[in-house]
Amino acid sequence: MTAPLKSRAAGHPAPLIDGIEKVTGKALYTADLETSDALAGRILRSPVSHGEIVSLDVSKALALDGVRAIVTADDCPHTYGVIPVAMNEYPLARGKVRYRGEPVAAIAAIDAHTAEQALELIELDIRELPAYYTANDARAKDAVLLHDDKPGNLDREVHHEFGDIADGFAAADLVSTEQFECAEVNHAQMEPHATLADFDAERKQLTMHTVSQVPYYVHLMLARCLEMDTCDIRVIKPFVGGGFGARTETLNFELITGLLARAANGKVMMRLTREETLITHRGRPDTQVELKIGMSQEGRITAVDCRVTQRGGAYAGYGLVTILYAGALLHGLYDIPAVKYDGYRVYANLPPCGAMRGHGTVDVRHAFECMLDRMARQLELDPFAVRSANLLEAPTRTPNDLMVNSYGLPECLSTVEMASGWHERKSGLPPGRGLGMACSHYVSGAAKPVHWTGEPHAVVSMKLDFDGSITAFTGASDIGQGSTTMVALAAAEILGVDLARIRVITNDSAITPKDNGSYSSRVTFMVGNAAIEAATRLREILIAAAAKKLEADPQDITCTMETFSVHGSEQSMMSFADVAAAALAEDGTISVKGTFTCPPQAQGGKHRGGAVGSTMGFSYAVQVVEVAVDVETGLISVEKVWAALDCGFAINPLAVQGQIEGSVWMGMGQALCEETRYMDGLPVHASLLEYRVPTIVESPDIEVYIVESNDPLGPFGAKEAGEGALSGFPPALVNAVADAIGLDLNTLPVTPDRLMDALVAQRRKQRRAASLKEAS
Amino acid sequence: MTEALPEFTLDRPETIDQAVTAMAKRPSSRFLAGGTDLIVNMRRGLVDTDCLIDLTGISELQQLSDGKSGLTIGAGVTLREICEHRDIRRSYGAIGEACDAIAGPGHRSVATVGGNLCLDTRCMYYNQSHWWRKANDFCLKYKGDTCHVAPTGKRCRAAFSGDLAPALMVHGAEVEIAGPDGRRRMPLADLYHEDGANHLGLKSGEFIVAVHVPPGDTQRMVRSAYAKVRIRGAIDFPLAGVAVACTRLASGEVRITSALTGTNSRPFLIEGFDPIGLDQDPDAAFTNLAKLVQKQVSPQRTSTIGSHYRRLAVSALTQRLAKRLTLELE
Repeated sequence: MTAPLKSRAAGHPAPLIDGIEKVTGKALYTADLETSDALAGRILRSPVSHGEIVSLDVSKALALDGVRAIVTADDCPHTYGVIPVAMNEYPLARGKVRYRGEPVAAIAAIDAHTAEQALELIELDIRELPAYYTANDARAKDAVLLHDDKPGNLDREVHHEFGDIADGFAAADLVSTEQFECAEVNHAQMEPHATLADFDAERKQLTMHTVSQVPYYVHLMLARCLEMDTCDIRVIKPFVGGGFGARTETLNFELITGLLARAANGKVMMRLTREETLITHRGRPDTQVELKIGMSQEGRITAVDCRVTQRGGAYAGYGLVTILYAGALLHGLYDIPAVKYDGYRVYANLPPCGAMRGHGTVDVRHAFECMLDRMARQLELDPFAVRSANLLEAPTRTPNDLMVNSYGLPECLSTVEMASGWHERKSGLPPGRGLGMACSHYVSGAAKPVHWTGEPHAVVSMKLDFDGSITAFTGASDIGQGSTTMVALAAAEILGVDLARIRVITNDSAITPKDNGSYSSRVTFMVGNAAIEAATRLREILIAAAAKKLEADPQDITCTMETFSVHGSEQSMMSFADVAAAALAEDGTISVKGTFTCPPQAQGGKHRGGAVGSTMGFSYAVQVVEVAVDVETGLISVEKVWAALDCGFAINPLAVQGQIEGSVWMGMGQALCEETRYMDGLPVHASLLEYRVPTIVESPDIEVYIVESNDPLGPFGAKEAGEGALSGFPPALVNAVADAIGLDLNTLPVTPDRLMDALVAQRRKQRRAASLKEAS
Repeated sequence: MTEALPEFTLDRPETIDQAVTAMAKRPSSRFLAGGTDLIVNMRRGLVDTDCLIDLTGISELQQLSDGKSGLTIGAGVTLREICEHRDIRRSYGAIGEACDAIAGPGHRSVATVGGNLCLDTRCMYYNQSHWWRKANDFCLKYKGDTCHVAPTGKRCRAAFSGDLAPALMVHGAEVEIAGPDGRRRMPLADLYHEDGANHLGLKSGEFIVAVHVPPGDTQRMVRSAYAKVRIRGAIDFPLAGVAVACTRLASGEVRITSALTGTNSRPFLIEGFDPIGLDQDPDAAFTNLAKLVQKQVSPQRTSTIGSHYRRLAVSALTQRLAKRLTLELE
């Protein structure tokens, strides 16, 4: 009667429940979908960086045999975007082009060859305007504006001050100021962009399969740009091969494919090349950080003054949020009495930037953690001691009114300090070897979503039917991070049933409840809590049915290991199947729903932009990086990484470990070798040969430690796990290089040519100092 | 999704003569082996052809023998076979190490020796999509009239990026070539020209049949190695690469032969380095070698990674290899 559970639920390592399809190749990604009856879509892209469209003639292309539809700006007079107040982008350039590669027209043809031939027949005449590729050039006094309503080519500026920084700096024993440059990086997700749009000519309805992290936002933007009722649109997200923020807003090719399908009255498959995927961009902007920190002799931070300039690319996109995050998350990691922040998001004639893992925080955290190390050195303090001197005490609220209910940073610090043998090893490493450390944090979802409707932040519904299976329905987008498995584990844990009994149906707007999508690490906290609530309701129904059968009080019924009983007594045991049958006999198929809403006190301060950074809880991470530096070739080898992350509670420790390792890898890419490079606006990096993501050869041994601080509001105490450990890597690496060869570097990535240049400059400086000494 | 592959017919001859005849019939054809370079370039619109002659069905190109007369490697032998060949690794270290350093395991399992020797030259203005190159008015190497690397110059600066050639060159390899005029042999070093748009000295219709490496003199000790400047430990083409062979001569002197790749439009041997005498300070000689390398390489702005860096790094690697190998001789 008591069949043992085949698998345990929350808190135990579980392979992803959709992993089998992925590793056996059965999983269908968008580009794998049936296309025998689909037209091939292709996009004509601007060859220039900035200019006015004088004329666009598609007649010759349209006349080509096999071409079924061509769409241009004339087919869509509406802007789109992720932030309701900052939508200034058209799916197809209207009047002006603002970056090389911007879509201008699109073709649906019977096959790719015909579409490509037709592209060559489109006549496009552009009157070129001056183009700007750096934030400084774009902000020059006489610069031509990219957008007429944005003087100074400034998308958004932010000025926040909390506490009294003048007092803070006056109280400091050491005040340092430094400037850092962090190159633009891209997500380089494994799966290139693709969309399949099917327009039903009779019913005037559109079905779209797309690679999105945010199918709900795609749905809304399709309705807006195609002037359709949302009820005539269905959006489905198949398997997605990585997101990292690249797909957290509706992207131009999705809208273009929708427009094409409607124009062709049929089905269109749009598969972008890697180059086009990289041009669609939305990555982390090129960022300049000017940072001033005041510190007491004991290592207490007394004040922070931070100025950030982000080169945001040609359109607003997520820019407003990125520049706000950069300032807001100066808070929440340490106890800092006074923080001033000035942020500038600047337009430039390059592909638009957007959200990328660690949204807004990574470059600022890099500067901050590098400077903490350098100031510690000057004050002859240990890097760990400096961090420990500035800890928060949960529960608390930060000066910018962010809620901190759980805080595992102290345990993360002690864990990696011990594991890495920091104190014993640091002074005894051979030449060229070094150890560095850094801390980081990240939000568990934005407590106030960018698209505010007043609805709950998450909804999960659940069904129990005659077959005894439990189906959970969620709009949460699994993009490889394991959210589908998380929902199943949460349900199995609450219901006391085998994991295999739970099916999770995701991301079909015709079936699953609306979900805002997978971004800002919101899913585990919000969808997890909603799943727990739905499962709890289902459990109540089952317990009521069991109680009725057993003629007991529902409060006395326990449910574990797929068995219901009165206080566990053997005589009273009922199997899950019997209880389910009893419950179904009452009222037929059982449907329940759980929701989650972030309470108002979590939704940030009242100041302008105060919603950004607001969250239910922060993850905390500490890592130590060991490097070996070859001063003759400038190559840095990452020998080992020790990383600890406080994720509140690991619902799936295996997935958490994977996320921490993935964060380390991605941070390593940004630290060592990843960067976009444009030549007069042309992306030189537009392949995976030139956009250098580290390979397995560069992958160090990563020792992962999960710290559980049990957040009082998190699902089972959980917080986010997918982003927090990223931003600590670049500063830990740069600090390790300083330890190895005595060289402080202020530019990312630390490519070997940059390192060699810095070494040559260092030697020159040393020679000059020596000769001055000699002369005196 | 990659760009659409253009339509083409595939001819699969079984003998060298058939391949030569096939090419004579359709001179616009291209020879195909592993396809790891050619097919990628075809997708990117860099190859004008509607017919490929697949050489992988010709058994003579698969020969691989190591004997008294030296080492013979058929042009169709895969890089992986070389990597796994113990005798080659033992006697010709640089050749094995160079193959190890090429691309990734998947590529090496199909990419061939002949293909790597005939690798197209590379440049950031050239290895881009059709849209990209068109937006940049194409370039001297293909469809354009300006070299964007050196706009005032008259020749293409694209860099030869094969790893294997320098390793074979320091071992004195010769290539055997088949073509409409029959077979011919020449030193591998002479196969290449310093012109990125026309770097291969193969006449119309010719292809490489095999590489012949002379046997190491059993009386003399030879050690060789290959090292590569690159950002990542796999996949990347060389920003610069160097093969070094050190030989203990009968006189006791040490002869150091080095050959470079990735820096110029051709792989080439470093000239003017005299054997290190018994009474010479070896460290001074190694420094001199590094200086010679710096002087003779001419990396250009063909990559986003600076040419000055490539010069410094490859010179340092040459010195490092020479030192290490000389020590190994002792």
